[in-house]
Amino acid sequence: MKLNKRTFLIKSVALLFICCLALSGCYDAKEIDQEVYALVIGVDKGTGNMIRVTFQVSTYKEGEGGDSGDSDKSSGELSGTVISTVEATSLIESINMLNSASNRQISLSQAKMVVFSEEYAREGVGRYIEPLTRYREVGDLMRVLVCRGRAEDYIMENKSLIGRSLSKDIELSFLQAANTGYYPDVFLNEFYVKLSSPYAQTIATYTAINDFDVLPEDSTEQNTVQPLPDLQPGEIPRKGGNKREMLGTVVFNGDKMVGYLNQNETRFYLLATGKFKRGLFTIDDPKSPGDYIVLNVTAHGVPKVTATFENGVPHIKLKMLIDIEIAAIQNRENYYLNPAAYVELEKYIETYFSSGILDVIEKTQKEWNSDIFEFGKYIAGNFRTIQEFERYGWREHYREAKVEIELNANISRAGYYYHPRPIRSDK
Amino acid sequence: MVEMIKEGKIGMLEAYALVTVIIITKVFYTFPLASIKQTGTAAWYSTLISCACAIAFFVLVYLLLKRFPQKDLYQVFEAVLGQKIGRFLVLVFSVYFLYYAGINLSEFVNILKIYCMPLTPQEVLVAGFLIVTAAMAYVGLEGISRVAYILFYLIIAGLVLILLLAIPFYDFHYLKPWFGYGLGVTVKEGILRTSSYDTVIILAIIANSLQGLKNLKRVGLACLLTAGAVFSICLACVLAAFQYTAGGEYISGMNHLSRIIYYSRFFQRVEAIFVFVWVFASVIAVSATFYIALSSYCRVFNITNHRPLLMPFLFLTFAFSSLPKNMAEIIDIYVRFIRGYSLFLIVLAPVLVLLIAMLMGKRGGKASETQ
Repeated sequence: MKLNKRTFLIKSVALLFICCLALSGCYDAKEIDQEVYALVIGVDKGTGNMIRVTFQVSTYKEGEGGDSGDSDKSSGELSGTVISTVEATSLIESINMLNSASNRQISLSQAKMVVFSEEYAREGVGRYIEPLTRYREVGDLMRVLVCRGRAEDYIMENKSLIGRSLSKDIELSFLQAANTGYYPDVFLNEFYVKLSSPYAQTIATYTAINDFDVLPEDSTEQNTVQPLPDLQPGEIPRKGGNKREMLGTVVFNGDKMVGYLNQNETRFYLLATGKFKRGLFTIDDPKSPGDYIVLNVTAHGVPKVTATFENGVPHIKLKMLIDIEIAAIQNRENYYLNPAAYVELEKYIETYFSSGILDVIEKTQKEWNSDIFEFGKYIAGNFRTIQEFERYGWREHYREAKVEIELNANISRAGYYYHPRPIRSDK
Repeated sequence: MVEMIKEGKIGMLEAYALVTVIIITKVFYTFPLASIKQTGTAAWYSTLISCACAIAFFVLVYLLLKRFPQKDLYQVFEAVLGQKIGRFLVLVFSVYFLYYAGINLSEFVNILKIYCMPLTPQEVLVAGFLIVTAAMAYVGLEGISRVAYILFYLIIAGLVLILLLAIPFYDFHYLKPWFGYGLGVTVKEGILRTSSYDTVIILAIIANSLQGLKNLKRVGLACLLTAGAVFSICLACVLAAFQYTAGGEYISGMNHLSRIIYYSRFFQRVEAIFVFVWVFASVIAVSATFYIALSSYCRVFNITNHRPLLMPFLFLTFAFSSLPKNMAEIIDIYVRFIRGYSLFLIVLAPVLVLLIAMLMGKRGGKASETQ
């Protein structure tokens, strides 16, 4: 009898255990089909104090994301996604309002990027970033972008031309940041942390739509071509392909956009902060005006930075090493056979990069007083306590800093050719 | 003499796993938030000061137990302070551990609602958790310690995995300025937060279930050193990833650390690993402290079978978990008491008993004396 009672008790306890496993999560259980996932969020200025929020959500129809040419402006359908815009007082409220017009609940858990219009970014994005980071559904891995023009118009052109999946398309486009170095890859978490950081200011990716009207029709229109044109996103002289373009870095002071770095300045910025992976640089050939040398640059580790105070003035020294592979020499000069020319080219490259980086640092100091290079974290080592550091107010003193750069460039390879011969032309 | 429930014997590794998990579970809760808010960039070594103080405290407890061979802490209380005062002190400890279990449960459930299950009623989560706690307490100390031993490796592996995967997002320059909010504040908080380690006293309470006093010393020191290393490394990593500004804002810094892991579009959003690790650790910690509270109460009133008291104690735990009205109260009042000021009970009591024993020349009998 006793054994039976005991066995019964043990089995009951075990059954209760199993029931707990089955019952937990019932309240929060949701079918995937019950929700619709916003891939892109756009924020524009609305009327008065309102904002206009645009959501691009994926549908569950066949051919989702691929450009089958299907679009219906009145319902906001675009190539397997639906774009809806609503005006509301806050971002979370806008989701609530759209839910009343949707048969599925809008979820932000798969959102890939948030796009602020430039007009809105210049007024301050802090009040809309905070709810995003506080809200449970939003992933910290969402990207932050600022677009020229309206975010709504930008999202209306956001479609995948290669492959069916728009979310994959968006993810892959951010990988290009590592391949070109033309724009930074900024996550929401990193953006938010720097908003309240005493060490540095925050940045975002600059983006726009290219209407394909920049490519000159007549090749004789321009007499000389600048190797380093200052381009804003949407201005790349090209035709065809995705209209969405990311180029450059938006610079913030606090939560307000104060300016931007163009694509070349962005690469110098990424090099100085150790975030540059690889990219092609086109520079003037010093021995042959009108010809160019194309360099495949790879950063060699993170720059070593030291920051000290001399007579109350912050002095910052950067030491960096870059690895160069010559991708093209238009005049076919053979630098390998002429060591002096080789060394001279290395020095020229070092000067090019050092002065480029210094110019960008100076620009951020003089024009915006915005330390996007995060020198503050090195300066912080000169203070003993947080109170001393915060009282000093590094972000206000950034413009006073004197910066020196010691950059070493090592031309390690020159592509397939070791000894290129001059091109013969018979007269 | 305080009668004991027959708790059986547990091995060294089981005891180490049990007490270590009980101590380190708080790193998954609001411990990083509170530490970084109080000490800023010095949080990672402020906890090492706490660990050193905890080791000193544990050595004193060991010396106390050494004076009374084959007695556990509660029996020593009775031997030194007399039956009435000794048992009253044991009752206070019982209430404290019940409060500890209830508040930890409340903290766990609230964080679970914030991060994973916002729609589930709190009572349902608490009830589900308490059913598991009841099952573990039913089987007793041996069962709990064996579960702890098995899950310990998973918990540590999960924790290490999160810390390693988040490496690309660390910048240890964010640990500057080195002195945080000042050395004075760091040392003061370091000493106060010895309370975070004081659950090591559980080893002294279950001393008779361990394999001798020497093993108790080894296990205790190992637990404290492990916990100190875990806390210090976790705090340093949270500071390196989020700086002291955001690190002092996030409710669960370790959860956010798991959320920022990104290697490619195929390897991201791995915070699910964290949830498993966190739930395992919480179940063990709350169940163990609940059991200690229950067994302490039984020992005060010479109750040899703890099982009939499970329901009333579960009800009391539920009541304690319902005490805080909101997350702010949990963090600033209830948890602050446990992790900031409980040393005035848990540390002070055995130290005072040791002093009294030394002053009055009280010692236990030889090893042949029975319990």
